[in-house]
Amino acid sequence: MSMSVVVQAPPEVNPLEDALRFERRVPPCAVVIFGASGDLSKRKLLPSLYRLFYERRISPDFAVIGSSRTPMSDDAFREKMKESVSKFLEDAPFDEDVWKSFAQSLFYVPGDLNVPSSYDDIRNRLDEVEKSHRTAGNVLFYLSTQPSHYAEAILELGAHQLNKGHGWRRVIIEKPFGHDLASARKLNDEIHKVFDESAIYRIDHYLGKETVQNILAFRFGNGIFEPLWNRRYVDHIQITAAESIGVEGRGAYYQEAGALRDMIQNHLSQVMATVMMEPPTIFDATNVRDERAKLLRAVRVMKHDDVPKYAVAGQYGPAFVGGEQVAGFRQEPSVSADAQTDTYAAVTFFIDNWRWAGTPVYIRTGKRMPKRVTDIAIQFKAPPLGLFQQETKTGLREVRPNLLVLRIQPEEGISLRFLSKSPGSGMRVRPVSMDFNYGSSFGERSPTAYETLLLDAMMGDPTLYTRQDMVEASWQIVQPILEVWENSKFFFPNYPAGSWGPKASDDMLAQQGHVWRIP
Amino acid sequence: MSTAVIFPAQPEQILKGLGKLWTSLGHEEKQQGKPTVLRACAMTLIVATDEPDGGFSASQTIAELMREHPSRGIVLAVSDGAEHELEARVLAQCWKPFGKAQQICCEQIEITARPESWPNVGPTLVGLTAADLPVIFWCRHRAALHPEATVDQKAGLQAIINIANKVVVDTQGLSAGAAFGVVAALRAQRRTVADLEWTRLTKWREPISQIFDNPSRRNCYSKFHAIEIAYAGEELPAAALYVGAWFSAPHKAQVSFVKEAGYGPGLHRIALRADSERIVFERTGPDCMSLHSTNGQQRSYTYEEPTDHKLMTEELTILGCDPAFDSAYARAQELLNEQA
Repeated sequence: MSMSVVVQAPPEVNPLEDALRFERRVPPCAVVIFGASGDLSKRKLLPSLYRLFYERRISPDFAVIGSSRTPMSDDAFREKMKESVSKFLEDAPFDEDVWKSFAQSLFYVPGDLNVPSSYDDIRNRLDEVEKSHRTAGNVLFYLSTQPSHYAEAILELGAHQLNKGHGWRRVIIEKPFGHDLASARKLNDEIHKVFDESAIYRIDHYLGKETVQNILAFRFGNGIFEPLWNRRYVDHIQITAAESIGVEGRGAYYQEAGALRDMIQNHLSQVMATVMMEPPTIFDATNVRDERAKLLRAVRVMKHDDVPKYAVAGQYGPAFVGGEQVAGFRQEPSVSADAQTDTYAAVTFFIDNWRWAGTPVYIRTGKRMPKRVTDIAIQFKAPPLGLFQQETKTGLREVRPNLLVLRIQPEEGISLRFLSKSPGSGMRVRPVSMDFNYGSSFGERSPTAYETLLLDAMMGDPTLYTRQDMVEASWQIVQPILEVWENSKFFFPNYPAGSWGPKASDDMLAQQGHVWRIP
Repeated sequence: MSTAVIFPAQPEQILKGLGKLWTSLGHEEKQQGKPTVLRACAMTLIVATDEPDGGFSASQTIAELMREHPSRGIVLAVSDGAEHELEARVLAQCWKPFGKAQQICCEQIEITARPESWPNVGPTLVGLTAADLPVIFWCRHRAALHPEATVDQKAGLQAIINIANKVVVDTQGLSAGAAFGVVAALRAQRRTVADLEWTRLTKWREPISQIFDNPSRRNCYSKFHAIEIAYAGEELPAAALYVGAWFSAPHKAQVSFVKEAGYGPGLHRIALRADSERIVFERTGPDCMSLHSTNGQQRSYTYEEPTDHKLMTEELTILGCDPAFDSAYARAQELLNEQA
């Protein structure tokens, strides 16, 4: 008896690719958006997908299936999305002809996440578009729904075999990923029943920002900074994410979340990890995420007794800002009159590893602050001996050590403050700034964070997405603070709208001999 | 902001002029008490031109390019009407990003030379290049590229080529034979050479390439054995040969050309043929392109005639070798010989 072995030829590599000139493109696929009539879809997801299509980055073999409870036809969905895309497209033109082409790839399946037959409808539609739009069986599910529905929706995807197919299957999950460590772990367990970790893309849109990605290029693409990037030369680090607006109609959500959960647990702890992690051995998703996770695991977890010393909660009160009366948080719609929510949070973290031991990292975030700004300031140690007199406006001498500021928004860039001799006789020095401005130096439109992240997920690159261990580690470091604050009675409000936060926050730094900079 | 005419155009005098320019910009900064100007430079970009506007349009393009590719721009206008044999002027090209207080400024040097003085420009240019940064030469002097260029023109051109890492030419409007002659002469000097006629093809090539990204596509690339290229205009343009060469280079697909009326000179349609499928990518209007296949695939694209600014923006992102162009150029010469 003879046996013949049929060897299947590998798929042909596209010989027409020109990586030097062509944009990075996604493979054929279908994107299924749950919660397609929601705000996120209208403001971010569809405009980003359209923009990727406009820039020819999306394959012609592509389809989007929107799903939500609202009954709607394909055409009605297309019309509704056209309105949104033309309204919310950022720094980019809307082209009618391109839209018509894009709209041919848009479909809608009305359905309720709680109703199993909805998933059958989605599967049927996926089968259809796979034939009509040649999506090769690749499917990206995007959960843009209430977080309380995540586990249920994913279990249903599994029950209807939608997590498997002859192409790849991936799922993007929006934040918040749990509301504390225990719930995050439980959610991870539920999701892992259906999807392997490699197929789970937990989105943190901060990591998709060009300037956050540039931190990696700045640190590991240049040889001159990394030798200084440690406890010997860095005195402390300040991370600020300030918003000038209040809760803007999200009072009910925000009252439950608070600044610590909304910003520090996810966005800012990831930014901290990016700034302070060790260099990866190679630049790929696994290695970069391993280093981020290692850094987060090295953050000292506070004891309950330490929380008052190293964490400050604040809540804005009413004030006159810019000539008009601004409501305090408790006066915002859907917020209770005695809300204990933190609209401001400041935390001192210590990283217990060889590189950073003893170097404090101060993170603050708040609403209704004087301006919208997100930046990271690396304050270097002063020279051991002050040889020169420094000029200041008040004529006094003051120590102005080197400061490196990585600006995330709005004026994305990097500046380095150093001392320079003032012209003229005498050896007087003054601080000057060496500036790199991201937008002006490249002049090109930067892709939005959602464009970057959607593209990455479709291409199977999870570098900028958070992994289970990273999420759990970041919950771990805020968990004691949450527990202490939940059992505390705060005398809020403790800072007026339009200010840089409560005095207790300044005191927190003062005990280490530091002051908050004014961004 | 610019200085008075600098004559004689010695590098030290020109650099001194640049120094003064920055001092005066810094003076404004001091008066306002905050940083108002940011100086940017990533390369030296030399443009030689014989255009009758005396380098005005070249200067305008450099000013636009500075947003994406900040450079020390040097415009060399060769003109019979020049007052001196060689004179220069320095200026700062500044722009303010929307909503920002700080201006971004790049240096620009305008040199005017009489035709007979052009060969002497070399030493001046050597002294003016920005240290440790690449030197790109964009040759807009059509006469100097012509086989019948004068001795002075050839010597002037050579002086710049000698200091350039990359030379950019535009063969649009030339017959394919003449175009390849220009490129071949420059490549023989072991310089990286770019032809903007090739750069114009990116918007045609990218959507075609994208079709073959799908590994499960029934008709993969190698099944397409013929390509027909329709062009508008009198002579077969280099663009048609380039695109035919690019598509056919990997498997030597059969290439044919057809002249048709279109929406302007240049490429009008590209049709790919397999046994069971035909894909057509064509201009369907002055500002529209359409891609359709007999398997039902269809998609529209916007068409915009690329400006020099856009073409150079793309070209300046590639400072090293360009393998796709190199292989297309080699195959295009074969196709040209077949046509003959």
